[in-house]
Amino acid sequence: MTRMNRRALITASAVLAVAALTATTIPAQASEVGVSNSEIKLGMTLPMTGTASPGYNKIPGAMKAYFDYVNANGGVNGRKITIKVEDDRYVPTEAVAKTNKLILQDKVMALISPLGTANNKAVAASVNPARRGVPVLFVNTGFSGFADTKKYPTTYPILPSYVMEAKIMAEYIKDNFAGKTLGLVYQDDDFGTDALKGFTQAGVTFAAKVAYASGSQSAATAAGWVTKLSTAKCDVVVLFGVSSATAAGLGTAAALKYAPQWILGSVGGDATTIKASGVPAGVLYNAVGASFAPATTDAEDEYVKLFSDIYAKAVPGSAFDSYVLGAMNSAFVAAQALKAAGPDLTRKSLMAAIESKGASFASAALLPLNYSKTSHVGYSGYWFGKYSPTGDLKPVDGKYVLYTTDSGSGAVVKSTWKRPAMPAKGLPN
Amino acid sequence: MKITSVKSRAIALLSTTALLATIVVASPAQAAAVGPTCDAKTPIQTCVGTTSDDAAYEIRVPSNFNGTVALWSHGLGVSWPVSAGLLPPFPNGIPVDPRANVAPFTVIGSTSSALASSILADGVAVMGSGFSVQGWNLDEAVKTNVELIGIFKKAFPTTKKVVAWGYSAGGGITQALAEQHPELVDAVAIIDPVAPAPAMQKLLMDALWLFKTYFDPSMKLTGYSAGKAGDLEATADIGKMYSILASVGANVSSGKWPATAGPSGKALEAAGVPSRSAMLLCALLVGMPVQSASYDNINGPDGALKLTFPLAVSPALASLENFGVALTSGLSMAREWDTKFGPNWYDNTKTNFATQLSESDRDIYNAALSGNTVIDALLGVLNPANPAAPRMVGEASAVAKAAGMYSTTGKITVPTIMMTGTNDPVPAASWIQQVSDKYAVQFAAEKAAAIAAAKKSRSYVAPKNKLGVVWLKPPKNWTKFDATGTPIAQSYVAGNGHAAFTQKQFKFMIDAAIKAANAGSVSTTGTFVSTARKAGMVRDKFSSYPYLKYYN
Repeated sequence: MTRMNRRALITASAVLAVAALTATTIPAQASEVGVSNSEIKLGMTLPMTGTASPGYNKIPGAMKAYFDYVNANGGVNGRKITIKVEDDRYVPTEAVAKTNKLILQDKVMALISPLGTANNKAVAASVNPARRGVPVLFVNTGFSGFADTKKYPTTYPILPSYVMEAKIMAEYIKDNFAGKTLGLVYQDDDFGTDALKGFTQAGVTFAAKVAYASGSQSAATAAGWVTKLSTAKCDVVVLFGVSSATAAGLGTAAALKYAPQWILGSVGGDATTIKASGVPAGVLYNAVGASFAPATTDAEDEYVKLFSDIYAKAVPGSAFDSYVLGAMNSAFVAAQALKAAGPDLTRKSLMAAIESKGASFASAALLPLNYSKTSHVGYSGYWFGKYSPTGDLKPVDGKYVLYTTDSGSGAVVKSTWKRPAMPAKGLPN
Repeated sequence: MKITSVKSRAIALLSTTALLATIVVASPAQAAAVGPTCDAKTPIQTCVGTTSDDAAYEIRVPSNFNGTVALWSHGLGVSWPVSAGLLPPFPNGIPVDPRANVAPFTVIGSTSSALASSILADGVAVMGSGFSVQGWNLDEAVKTNVELIGIFKKAFPTTKKVVAWGYSAGGGITQALAEQHPELVDAVAIIDPVAPAPAMQKLLMDALWLFKTYFDPSMKLTGYSAGKAGDLEATADIGKMYSILASVGANVSSGKWPATAGPSGKALEAAGVPSRSAMLLCALLVGMPVQSASYDNINGPDGALKLTFPLAVSPALASLENFGVALTSGLSMAREWDTKFGPNWYDNTKTNFATQLSESDRDIYNAALSGNTVIDALLGVLNPANPAAPRMVGEASAVAKAAGMYSTTGKITVPTIMMTGTNDPVPAASWIQQVSDKYAVQFAAEKAAAIAAAKKSRSYVAPKNKLGVVWLKPPKNWTKFDATGTPIAQSYVAGNGHAAFTQKQFKFMIDAAIKAANAGSVSTTGTFVSTARKAGMVRDKFSSYPYLKYYN
């Protein structure tokens, strides 16, 4: 028995030695779910149909237009980027089912731009991309909590948070509407809670605050908002809601001859979507709005020029609006992240690339990204402008004045950051 | 849309629940064991008898007995009878049924007998008892099972392997047997198990207290009279629970509250809070799944409610459908424990219900909960300072007795296979997730120890994996509507309901356990995965189901 044990031990040692040799002499093969020698598969969920879809349903086409442009120019490290799109109709439980499909059945490498605070929370809780090590790139929600790297370690927000937006909006209000009676309409969930947090942080007091439960917005409910706001004699009203709430508020107020100075939150401030909901451009005229990207009508901006050209060729006849610009920008940042992760692309190397190099990624935004090993914060600021007679958001006096802040107690300050020139041909460098 | 018509049909489903599948009255203890008396038939020999605690048992042994016996533990039965004519879903009452079960009582698409036959056909003997005590009987049932194993081995001395399995409370019994007597079982299969006693008590009593507070302050919940009078009082509580479910379901669109609502409920109704939001909040506060056999929270009827229904209505209907399955047993146990431990055995004076609503749930179901303002109003009612919502104040000795019940630990000592539907209203997924997570830590420690040992011995001996978990997940969507847009009640949809499995799924479990018993470990790759998949189940090593509120 002793001899046999010794023989077994020697054999085992030899196997271990060969294994160790193999590990040190053969280069590691890139092997990752959703990554082949020729393709990188990404997946996204968002409302493509139903009442919540207008505007948002242009996002996949816009992202695909940019990825196809990259693919036509050699792809990323020789791989073409494809996206699998699933319609969740803005229903959290459906987002869970569809995300499960993307990860388990379609085997995507990463999720990209999944939309909605509640939907992303449902996916985080039930599908748990963090536990699976699946990157969730550039979520389409400004809920500040998604930047919590402990709770959502694989999630990377890109939009400025709603807290930031409210703080900066408060600064704008103080500078431009001091002494006015203020009103606020907000969604009665985390979206609105974030906004309230920002306004409270900034010390803004509203004479009337109207909370609407998500999904309850309509012309009928908006009539109740108008009654409360007009009764409180609000002459400046912030509409911090989704597009359908903005449209319901503006349209109903106009019908009831209530015309305060409107300030629109960025989520519900896309002019194309509002006008498509039946709100005349004239109602939007002179309302205040916010954006972190250049105006979609800014023909001088090199990103706007490139992206609008790509989009016009890919989706002829579709308006180049803020959703399209934002989506193409997210695709552009994603392409850079995939490139930065190198040829041996894995989920881990992708996230590592964002955290180590993300702050220097080029983008169309007029503010920098804030990614680092300890920060998953994307953009952190806005400029304010007014809607033109045709309903287009443009900077006041044609000049972008950028404000930046954080989701905490940090001050709101003017940004001095200058956007670097776009990489050659708008391709990841 | 006619949502109202759904309720009566949904509640009718309750009669099919496996929770009340086997019902046995308490029997006097410590009689002499009787039997086994065997009929000596071929190809299946049947033996019957009673254990020393007077539990009836049955044994079936095939002629080609291969030395393995499968010991089945059945689910919960009420410990007190419900008379006929008192509860609409049970027009004949809940009868006493002292029969022993040798296999699952309810098998979707098949029968218990057919399932047992398929096991016997493999040369495996089957056995099980009716237990001497019903209701929450882990302590007593483990003793009965230990005795039954001895009886079997004595009668059939060629026995080589004992595999125990059970569902619902029987899953808890099986787990307790493995924890207390790992030397007696070679492997176990645990299906839709109840969680440890304190967690189940909290789940059920929290839910019942919330129902009482929001919808009907006349519900008794504790301090039942002795004997038949107490039985009737508890039966009346069950009836009130059904009335609440029926009322909220019938008024799911209008949001009208049950007429029995107390001052708090009436004040909420006056403030425009819909009763459906209160019902959903009850589910979320206790950790009840909010998808059910009829409601997926995804589909909506064609037309204006296509999106509104899954977002704002469906979660509440799913909640009440699941409560209907779980709370009949909950009230049964409330009455049982009241008798066993004394009145006021439960204390929720220190419970902070507001913290039991997870941040995620608050947002995911925000529309169905009608927004943060409504949520805060609903939670405000539960404030301990609200005189209209008096807490349950425990009596020290009764509380101590309740705490003294055996509580499973979840520690894996013998090869174990676990299975549940992910929307099980017990809810078993929570507990299985916790066991799975604990075992991952345990296995990692064993692996680290093995590596440390290998550094000394220069020979690595990998630890044996002893846990395999499979999940029965629901389809992508399943709510159906008739031509008028009314949701159609469904009695079975995979992944929903309690202890609802097909013969193929049950067979997978017992086969996997037998295989594990022979190997001394559980292989969770290869045929384990492929066979589970063929039976409609998945192994998901990244599963993530929330723990029961007791552990938060």
